[in-house]
Amino acid sequence: MELLIVITTFGAAAIRMAIPLALAGLGESISEKSGLLNIGVEAIMLCGAFFSFITLFFTGSFFLGILAGILGGVSMSMIHALLSIRYKANQTIVGLALNFFALGLTSFLFLMGFGQTTTLPSTPVMSNLPIPLLSKLPLLGGILFSQNLFVYLLLIFMVLTHIWFYKTDFGISLHAVGEHPIAADTAGIRVHSVRYFAALCNGALGGLGGAYLTIVKLGFFQENLTEGKGYIALVTVILGKRRPFGVLGAALIIGGAEALQIRLQTMGTGIPSQLFSMFPYLMTIMALLLTIGSADAPSALGIPYDRDER
Amino acid sequence: MKRGMDGLKSLLLVVGGTVALAFLLILMVGGDIPTALGSFLRGIFGSTYAMGEVLVRATPLLLASLGVGIGFKTGFTNLGAEGQLYMGSITITTVAMLFPSLPPLVMIPLVMVLGFFAGGLWALIPGFLKARFSISEIIMTIMLNYVAINLVGILVRTILRDPAYPYPMSPMLTESVHFSQMLLPTRIHGGLPVALVMVIAVYMLLFRSRLGYEMRAVGLNARACRCSGIKVDRAMVLSAMIGGGLAGLAGVGEIAGLHHRLIEGISPGYGYMAIIIALLGKNHPVGILIASLGIAALQVGSMAMQRSAGIPTSIASTIMGAMVLLLVVRDARSRITIVEEGV
Amino acid sequence: MPILRMENICKSFFGSYANENVCMEVLDGEIHALLGENGAGKTTLMNILYGMYHKDSGTITLDGQPIAFNNPKEAIAHRIGMVHQHFTLVPTLTVQQNITLGLKDSGYPFSHERARCAKIGELSESYGLQTNGRSLVKDLSVGEMQRVEILKLLYRNARLLILDEPTAVLTPQESEHLFAMLTKLKLEGCSIIVITHHIQEVLDHCDRVTILRDGRSIATVETRAVDTKDLSRLMIGRELVPVARDRATRSTTAEVLELDDFTFKRNSGKSSTVNLKIAESEIVGIAGVDGNGQKEFLESLMGLKKIERGTLLFCKEDLSHADTTARRSAGIGYISDDRHGDSLVLDMGIDENLMLRPARSNEKKTWGLMDRNSITTEARRIVSSYAIKTHSVSEPMRLLSGGNQQKLVLAREFLGKPRLVIAFQPTRGLDIGATEFIHTQLLRMRDEGCAILLVSTNLEEILLLSDRIAVMHEGRFMDILANEHVDITRIGLLMAGIEAEEDAL
Repeated sequence: MELLIVITTFGAAAIRMAIPLALAGLGESISEKSGLLNIGVEAIMLCGAFFSFITLFFTGSFFLGILAGILGGVSMSMIHALLSIRYKANQTIVGLALNFFALGLTSFLFLMGFGQTTTLPSTPVMSNLPIPLLSKLPLLGGILFSQNLFVYLLLIFMVLTHIWFYKTDFGISLHAVGEHPIAADTAGIRVHSVRYFAALCNGALGGLGGAYLTIVKLGFFQENLTEGKGYIALVTVILGKRRPFGVLGAALIIGGAEALQIRLQTMGTGIPSQLFSMFPYLMTIMALLLTIGSADAPSALGIPYDRDER
Repeated sequence: MKRGMDGLKSLLLVVGGTVALAFLLILMVGGDIPTALGSFLRGIFGSTYAMGEVLVRATPLLLASLGVGIGFKTGFTNLGAEGQLYMGSITITTVAMLFPSLPPLVMIPLVMVLGFFAGGLWALIPGFLKARFSISEIIMTIMLNYVAINLVGILVRTILRDPAYPYPMSPMLTESVHFSQMLLPTRIHGGLPVALVMVIAVYMLLFRSRLGYEMRAVGLNARACRCSGIKVDRAMVLSAMIGGGLAGLAGVGEIAGLHHRLIEGISPGYGYMAIIIALLGKNHPVGILIASLGIAALQVGSMAMQRSAGIPTSIASTIMGAMVLLLVVRDARSRITIVEEGV
Repeated sequence: MPILRMENICKSFFGSYANENVCMEVLDGEIHALLGENGAGKTTLMNILYGMYHKDSGTITLDGQPIAFNNPKEAIAHRIGMVHQHFTLVPTLTVQQNITLGLKDSGYPFSHERARCAKIGELSESYGLQTNGRSLVKDLSVGEMQRVEILKLLYRNARLLILDEPTAVLTPQESEHLFAMLTKLKLEGCSIIVITHHIQEVLDHCDRVTILRDGRSIATVETRAVDTKDLSRLMIGRELVPVARDRATRSTTAEVLELDDFTFKRNSGKSSTVNLKIAESEIVGIAGVDGNGQKEFLESLMGLKKIERGTLLFCKEDLSHADTTARRSAGIGYISDDRHGDSLVLDMGIDENLMLRPARSNEKKTWGLMDRNSITTEARRIVSSYAIKTHSVSEPMRLLSGGNQQKLVLAREFLGKPRLVIAFQPTRGLDIGATEFIHTQLLRMRDEGCAILLVSTNLEEILLLSDRIAVMHEGRFMDILANEHVDITRIGLLMAGIEAEEDAL
């Protein structure tokens, strides 16, 4: 009985840790599948976190907060898309610059809104929405069905994206755009439009991931809240090979490691948390090494498409 | 000639746009521009100490961005300067703790060389993987950053820990590893002349040596180099190593000159700022020198603005990001114009 | 009843004409060949029809209606389809997914695989284009991929098909099969345009042929009325002036290059084997239509591509597996056909481009630094002796004319005192003055003992300079002839892949 409780709480904690990573990772997967490499996921998540927080604080509406978070993320991803598609800029540089920009802007606006305070302004946190009946199930009930809205949204999006990628024509078009934009163009697919749309999804999902941090998890905002989670989201994309459920799996593993680390900390072992923090990065390095010889990434990833270049 | 004038005009537009953004942010937060500007400038030029601070900040930035710049010149996108810096710091701490009784004349060169190699090794891994297996260095270098940062965290809590303090950090390192303070009352330390020497060294490397020539040629047209018999892989790997080594030196300098012990967070993102500086300085040692001073001034000035005028320091990060974005657009537009003119 | 008429089509790129007043007419229900050498303007013309390029002037009428497509999608909507030389198939998708790419087909938005595969199956049955809807494109053979490309067009109800060099990637048997299938399509009501440079194909399988040369349309004839000689004359037709070429008196006949069973892989995936010997002070010219494996052959010679088997002996040294650096250091020079991509760094100046070669151990160095002065002096010397027009030796190469750029490439390659120089299209795109200069320099190097392997699609050039002439077709040498006994017509036939005189009838 004790064990069951431990597993349930651990599983639920792992999922909670994984949510922002999975959402942002899902978004970035969509973007990369279309050929846009956006390392500015930090910027997306940070804006999502900030704008959802500030909207919630001043309006008291969770719905508006979520919406604001999505818009915040989208603004960052669309700037990246514009520079990458229209101006054919180096996508890595743009992503990096956006990270700096968003970090500065969100801290700045936060301080502007609230001033330097010792007590952080806080908001109420979204409570869990246990699904009737299903939440009574042993194990799964506690882990999966007594969670908050975002978990359910995540699962829905995962399934939708999976269907989108592998079962619809639009998914095939997306794949073609990222692999062989010339073939897509000759087949009549509007390469640029598809990429802009992919960037839109990236911003929306990443913004949602950031919103989760403030609206559900913490209830407050502070400078550099995301602290590298955006880069870990990139890790889930690589480990998950850009497949929706792969990304979810990677996020769960990383989330699980983080949950484990917290558990061990509260138990008082002397193991430094940094050992666990290193874990996702080492895993990614391993994953990258294993890709030697195999062509994994979409062939046109990071390369701007220009019809005149033949 | 026209292109040169256009280039200057668009550059002024970028600078102007950035300054306008800064003013906008200042106004948004309720400050007034003259006060803010005044405290900014005083924070940089107001006293010997202030000017010294700019140089102190510029030291690690200069070293790291020289390293990043060398990589860029060869076509190697080094986003890992942060981690390479920390590897340098780890190395100097370890050496100083292992051999505390070495005389300064031996210690200082030793830690510099080893720190250089540590940073170089950290960059060698992605550099080799790129040259040999075409694995993208973009993600790899970022990952290694985090590994290095976490490594520091582990080490200051275990092997390198100072038992006397509850806060995780290494003990104060032996005197012999301290860079002397060069110009009291400023905090300028021996790292600065090292950095300046490196500016010259990097210039000599890139523009006066055969290896540097090969690095530049590879960065401009690797295919032509391959056809001509120039060893592209060698140039790439060496470029990565030297670049990483310079970032490692930055890490050594911060410990030897400022902190004298290893703690977490000695770098507030210098490695990432180095990337922006390299871009601003167009990967040229002199440009990088100027850009480092500029960004260092931005950092120091914005801190002064916060103290005296209440403007949050995060304005600096915002400005840096915006400036790069504007520059990127400017560069893209000039490229598009060249294509249309059929040159 | 002409379904397509293109009149006085003009198109120029960066100031030079790709199509100049080209006229072409395609009748309903015929296989029409568009014949010409590479660079004659065939693909450009079809790209204009297909909506990928915009013509500068001229008219196109389809079924009597004037048209001008802005993109391929519009062309496809008018039932015109094109299969390009480089396939536009996504390798990581299945056949079915590629065929239905971009279509709002049955079951949209979901990809109803079964229904679509069935439809594809029907189509492939009726036209004899075997394929499996569920296979991944990257697992297909080249012939199969081509079938998929054609099916793509038929799936969209195309009735005017354009195929760009379709047999370039096929074996003779596959080519037969292709034309059998095209004939069947013709009978079903399609009209087909085949872009090609293979004369025999045109005569065997096509109804009429339009010949393009140097961007102009030369003639349109019925294939029944002509033979290979006529077509090759129309296709290549130059006024060839016999030139007196001084032969260098050779003291030795030491072999510089010996290729034995030298087997390399061509872009189409097929392997080709070559045997060749070149002696000191000898110029061997390789004639041939572009795209017959020349580039791959030369890259294998330079060590940029690995060979499958065979040996390369250079001055008796086995360099079969040596890297490019070693080959260059041994004394092989390379003048590439793509000087911007392969031979020059455009953003660097003459002085720095001169250094684009393996580092020499005898370079003047102090402290590992280069001696800038000697480099500048050398650069200046070359600028004057090669008459390179430039403001300074550090001016970016980008700003020099093509001729001056090529002069530098030559100067650099000769600087290393090579024993063998490989010259690939050395005078392409250059004016008369620069061309003559380069020819003079090549002959001078020959006189000094250097062997030269000249590869060019310009037959005049080959005849002017070579001691012996090899004709390359489909990656192998059709024959190697001494220049004294050469007959232009014979060479033309060899270039078109036709071996003996008897085949010409």
